Amino acid sequence: MKHSSAKYSPTLAAICGFVNAVAAAPVADLLEERLSSVVVVEFAIEHELDRTVNYTNGIVIDDDGTVILESSAISDRATPDQLVDFKIYRPGNPTTQYATADYVGQDGYTTWHFVKVRPEGRNGLRPITDFAAADPAAVPAMGEHLWGIGLRQKDEEFAPYFLSSQVSLIQRLPQLTGIALSSIAGRGCPIFNEAGEFIGVGASGFGQRMMIYSQRRRGEMSVLINPDEAAGFRLAAEVYPAIGRIPDNPYGRPLPWFGIDGLDPVGPEVAEFLGLGSTTGLVISELLSGSPAEQGGLLPRDIIIALDGVPFPRLKPDTVVAAHLMREVLKREPGGTMTLTVMRDRVELELPIELGEAPRTPKEADRNYFEELGITVRETVFSDVVARREDPSNLIGVIAHFIKPSSPAGTAGLRVDDWVKEIDGVGVETYEQALELFAEAEASGRPEVVMLVSRGGKTSVMRVKVDS
Amino acid sequence: MTRLVLMLTAGVLLATSSQAETSRGFKKLLDAVVRIDVREFAYEAGSKRFQSGVGSGVIVSHDGLILTNAHVVGLRAVDINVTLANLERVSAELVGWDHWTDLALLRLDQDEIAKKGHKFAVARFGDSDGIAPGETVYAVGTPHGLTRTVTRGIISNPRRFFADSRGVKGYETGQFNTWLQTDAAINPGNSGGPLVTSDGRIVGINSRGYSGADNLGFAIPSSTARRVMAGLAQDGAIQRSYIGIVPGALRDLEDFYDLELNTGMLINSVDPGSPAAEAGIRGGDILLKINGSSVDGRFPEQLPPIKNRIAVSPVGASLTLSIKRGDNSTDFDVATEELVSRVGDESVVEIWGLSIREVSRPFARENQLPDDDGVLVIGVQRGFPAAVAGLSTGDVITKINDTPIASIEDVLAQAEIYEKSPDKVLLEARRKFRVSLYVLKP
Repeated sequence: MKHSSAKYSPTLAAICGFVNAVAAAPVADLLEERLSSVVVVEFAIEHELDRTVNYTNGIVIDDDGTVILESSAISDRATPDQLVDFKIYRPGNPTTQYATADYVGQDGYTTWHFVKVRPEGRNGLRPITDFAAADPAAVPAMGEHLWGIGLRQKDEEFAPYFLSSQVSLIQRLPQLTGIALSSIAGRGCPIFNEAGEFIGVGASGFGQRMMIYSQRRRGEMSVLINPDEAAGFRLAAEVYPAIGRIPDNPYGRPLPWFGIDGLDPVGPEVAEFLGLGSTTGLVISELLSGSPAEQGGLLPRDIIIALDGVPFPRLKPDTVVAAHLMREVLKREPGGTMTLTVMRDRVELELPIELGEAPRTPKEADRNYFEELGITVRETVFSDVVARREDPSNLIGVIAHFIKPSSPAGTAGLRVDDWVKEIDGVGVETYEQALELFAEAEASGRPEVVMLVSRGGKTSVMRVKVDS
Repeated sequence: MTRLVLMLTAGVLLATSSQAETSRGFKKLLDAVVRIDVREFAYEAGSKRFQSGVGSGVIVSHDGLILTNAHVVGLRAVDINVTLANLERVSAELVGWDHWTDLALLRLDQDEIAKKGHKFAVARFGDSDGIAPGETVYAVGTPHGLTRTVTRGIISNPRRFFADSRGVKGYETGQFNTWLQTDAAINPGNSGGPLVTSDGRIVGINSRGYSGADNLGFAIPSSTARRVMAGLAQDGAIQRSYIGIVPGALRDLEDFYDLELNTGMLINSVDPGSPAAEAGIRGGDILLKINGSSVDGRFPEQLPPIKNRIAVSPVGASLTLSIKRGDNSTDFDVATEELVSRVGDESVVEIWGLSIREVSRPFARENQLPDDDGVLVIGVQRGFPAAVAGLSTGDVITKINDTPIASIEDVLAQAEIYEKSPDKVLLEARRKFRVSLYVLKP
């Protein structure tokens, strides 16, 4: 699972000479050559009533046709089953020519999605490691000139174009992130230095705050984001670990877990007050029932100040520190141990925690659409019950995942994320039981289905009138 | 000439449609309606601020009791000035307050009345329970400060139901009474004034109207007002019982629950941690009887009287609720507790620019807090220590300098220590479900 640098280093050594040899080539030639690592991925998400087609840019990471997509390229609500018809387009080629691909999964630690191009379509693809820098972990200098690839839309056959800018700032967020003066690459497209060495991947528009002056509304502060081009980018060091972490299941399991809800970073004033010096801490809001953190002896309001003896760096903004700890957890394996240093009533304690396997996620939950009622219900999972502030050791009922507008369920007032606890007066203990009750209700010809529904901690009785 | 005729015609028409302007009772009533000017303070945005308002009221006893709305005169009133019908001004004090029915009771300063020899009339009550839709009624009051304004309309609906969870200065109202709906114009400032029949008898206390709508006004029925008034005159407040069931109208669910028509009330939900929840009652249960007498809650209008039945039982009393769940009927014994508002006591720590409110049981329940400890932040003043540290409205303070905070007094005690020797203070607060730390600096 884990990334090992040995895996690609030999290739790298061979390539370095190559990069140097073409260093003097015109940028157009460099771009043309590096396009072999860039693809456009089309896929559809199948919903209950329709399907949406999505386009996203991807980077080839190995010789087996593996392509990585940024985490936001695929909606969090979509389950792997709903992701279909993956097509791979090559920039600038006629869109009638495409390869097909399959969804592999998402890695919890790096958050990349993985797609595999089928063998017949891999011809001409080159892994981005072919263009790696001599020192893959090198961080570009402030002010350094970089260039990247942008891609037009489908109607222009995803024509590639050139973008360039200078490095403005490098930050740990907690991923190593660069910010350029202006758009430097398409989202998900690679960025290179002047020698053509791979430096990073366009991540997102850098949310610049802008004032809009118009005759009607003056000086309204807005955040403008370019959805196609990115000024913020992830450094190459965030891409290479993906190579060793291609998941063998869509959910990226095994997923390590320690079970803390709400980690609040302490601000600089509080850190100083607590005598944390140049380091910082995270306040635990709550421990999830039965979680490894609870078993390890952590208590709500403990302040975590170090992991395996290493104090938390003062990452900026403060909120990044919590993400940093979560990443450190996700880097590990279930069953592994980590030691947290916590401050409790101003006294420091060391608590070893044995990481567990994360409970089933909403994405993994079984679900079923009931056409006549106009509702998709899914299995209640751990996080559903935690979010509803009830005891997660008791996963009763089902969750409304989709409500068809103007359907019987929609008209009755059911909403997405409602927690259905009773169906026709029968308490729902399991998902399977709910399926039986719904199926029975649909088949019975009864004019209505009465559900006891919990929303925002309050229950109410909902009456779903079935069309006769 | 033409004009005069027209006016005359109009006068004749009026006289035939109603006799109010000639009735002695109505004239007397006009002499019992007062204008009320109030100055009160609020703990807003981290400081104590004063604000003033104008409303109406009606004198209901010879010793100067005035009935008005709870939202006209509140518990924080500092100056209450009453303008009598003869335009003389007299000060008054608050005798009792009940936001659940939006009623407040004032008393004119008896010494002042005696010294200056002021005269006033006393209004008489009519029968709000017997009033019918279409009956002519008059609203008397001070809309928009226009003293002694009479408007006329009819009873549009004698039993309107609506509850307003923040209706009286943020306090709950309307759960235990229905309202008289009228098309007599009710404007801001009419509040607290009487709604009367043509013989000048009070059938309601005007309370609210739909803003932006035409002539949809609402008054508290006099039957409710009289009952509450008696309690307020005696104790200054009305104590009510609470068990924590939230009713829903049964409407046509009888078939589903296998009930006879016009029996039972649906329990839509049960407040977590409430006496009903502790007793084992759940949402979806059907309430058939309270202490052996049957309940009929088919329609929303029928719910307030049922809630009131529970409310009027003594605090701590045990109620036997007959509940139907599925095919079984079971009796549950529920011990009532005192009904309290979501809005707790309030205060301010001006040195920190921090307005605070006690966390009440209902607030803790509504917000799924583990308990009712802690103190809620209801405002911060810009540039003051609390705001600078990052505290904001909605945070619940749970600890100050390692001292757990359970009540306003705990905060004030810490503020006092700070005031004597200002130094950095570590404060722990909960925002939604997240615990954060803050440092207040002098």
